[in-house]
Amino acid sequence: MNGESKPLSRRLIPYGLMGPGLLWLVLFFVIPLYFMARLSLESGTLETGFKFTWEWSNFSDGLSTYDEQFIRSFIYAGVATLIALVIAYPLAYAIAFRGGSWKNALLFAVVAPFFVTYLIRTIAWTTILSDDGVVTGVLRTVGILGDDGRLLATPTAVIAGITYNFLPFMVLPIYASLERLDPRLIEAAKDLYSSSRAAFLKVTLPLSAPGIVAGTLLTFIPAAGDYINAIFLGSTNQHMIGNVIQGLYLNVRDYPTAAALSFILMAVIMAAVVVYIRFAGSEALMGEEEEAQ
Amino acid sequence: MRNGTRRWLRPLAAGVMLIAALLLAACGGGGGGIEGGDDTGQVSTAMAEGEPSGTLAISNWPFYIDNKTVPDFEKATGISVKYTEDVNDNAEFFGKMQPLLDQGESGGRDIMIVTDWMANKMYDLGYLQDFDQEAVKPAMDNLVPALQSPSFDPNRDFSLPWQSGMTGLVVNTAEAPDIKSANDLFDPKYKGQVEMVSEMRDTVPIVMMADGIRPEDATKQDWLDTIEKLKEASESGQIRRFTGNNYTSDMANGDAIAVIGWSGDAIQLQADNPDIQFVMPAEGCSLWSDNMVIPVGAPNPTAAYAWMNYVYQPKNQAQITDYNYYFSPVEGVKPYLEKINPEAAKSPLIFPTEQYTKNCATQTDPPGSPEDVSEVEQAWQAVVTG
Repeated sequence: MNGESKPLSRRLIPYGLMGPGLLWLVLFFVIPLYFMARLSLESGTLETGFKFTWEWSNFSDGLSTYDEQFIRSFIYAGVATLIALVIAYPLAYAIAFRGGSWKNALLFAVVAPFFVTYLIRTIAWTTILSDDGVVTGVLRTVGILGDDGRLLATPTAVIAGITYNFLPFMVLPIYASLERLDPRLIEAAKDLYSSSRAAFLKVTLPLSAPGIVAGTLLTFIPAAGDYINAIFLGSTNQHMIGNVIQGLYLNVRDYPTAAALSFILMAVIMAAVVVYIRFAGSEALMGEEEEAQ
Repeated sequence: MRNGTRRWLRPLAAGVMLIAALLLAACGGGGGGIEGGDDTGQVSTAMAEGEPSGTLAISNWPFYIDNKTVPDFEKATGISVKYTEDVNDNAEFFGKMQPLLDQGESGGRDIMIVTDWMANKMYDLGYLQDFDQEAVKPAMDNLVPALQSPSFDPNRDFSLPWQSGMTGLVVNTAEAPDIKSANDLFDPKYKGQVEMVSEMRDTVPIVMMADGIRPEDATKQDWLDTIEKLKEASESGQIRRFTGNNYTSDMANGDAIAVIGWSGDAIQLQADNPDIQFVMPAEGCSLWSDNMVIPVGAPNPTAAYAWMNYVYQPKNQAQITDYNYYFSPVEGVKPYLEKINPEAAKSPLIFPTEQYTKNCATQTDPPGSPEDVSEVEQAWQAVVTG
């Protein structure tokens, strides 16, 4: 409330500071989004030209035709997020509390795959998982896969690919929240006769919740729209909604339906995120700040 | 905390208002968006001007050129070439290029190489330029008679063949010695090891012919029925996947043992695995040409003609043929090829006998109106994109 007494120039500073970011957001997010929204309500074909006709059926037809791929996308993204969490939490915990002088080296190891582009990493997996490859061979020998079992072009390969590609997005936020955790809080819990397990459940886990929430969002959102893993590690039967949108844009050139599907995807993800944050409690995301004040 | 929140709300509200204002301004601008091809007006001619120089950008398919032709051409002409292998599937390439071409731009490309039907489609949409016949005459003079007047471009106004070839079976003969027809690809013992190219005009006719339907007599229903058959085979897992030209890596990895693919690719794959062969389907193959075309907005057509004339000299063409093993569209290649690779000069893949290709059909569109074609294409896309 003391803002009123400050000179005008001081009050304008926050706006000025937000300017570049806001401009970026408008130019590269809001304006494209507007054109996409417009496109999603057009009708016609490439040959006859597209006309803006408030064609709401693009949405309903798109959803009813491609419901299978929508559901598949959310299942794959959800499973991949869960697996990534199960792998990432112990990893981040170990690095944060047991890493010692190796901390930076271990963190570097987590990020290192990012020095190779996404596409190359995924294509490399096609060689690793190929039918004549070592992985498939071993799994066949130990009987996990049948004699003509394969990994490529199966849901397993696609989910594994997504998990692998987004794992660092899960590890880093969890690590960040664990790293900031004051070890004296755990000592205090133990001084108050808490077992290690209870200390973890009552102190460590709640305090790392912001990292878990951030990590799951950073993994789930891009994973649900991913199409690279399904192209290279899957087949037509594993195609996700991203593949459908890509196909409609590039091969069928049905731009309106593709735009409508993109909006449906955005809306569903947004709804899921809102529900998730409600469920996880908004303090999970804000927890750090509140503590700081 | 509460105070803090409010402090940040005000700039946020201001931002939202700014965005709204900008949006209104954008609406006033008359909307934009992708309008599509109702502007198929005049076709311009890409005139050659002066001596060829500068940079030449070419978009071609993978495995289509040896690694000496480009440097040789650069040395001979002083033109620097940007040769990109970014065409993997006609429809996909069109999808990528269409928004640019619609604006009269080619993304810096001077030459693109697309199959007959796609060249036709692009020309109809006004995305290509006519050739400067004067400038391209040396190349045209060497074009084999059989390819001089295709139905889609009877005077070769805007297209010049790069290579022709056959669509048939590419088979790992050690793993699948008994595959002789497209019908054998549906044999359950090859489940999950069979792939097909995502080009509808390649894959569908081959499968159709195996069922005894000649593509030139096929009805729209025949196309749809064949697509339905492929859909079932894809859903059951018999067909591992539909891919563009990169089925070659699945063959090389051993993930696929038989594919519907292109004759020349079999030869490229043999370099690593001698068991991979092109197998002429018992019911016949499909014949096509890929053509060099000059898109609208091509920055350097003069250099493009220099390239066409260069690769249409039999001596230079022999070098390309020796590598890619497709039918050469250039007259008089054989003597030069005999000199550099006598083995290749005997290959039926390069110089097929009439007997060898007697059952083959020239690649066609599905029959009917543009709407019918579009209906078949949509059914096909539903299969290949899932």
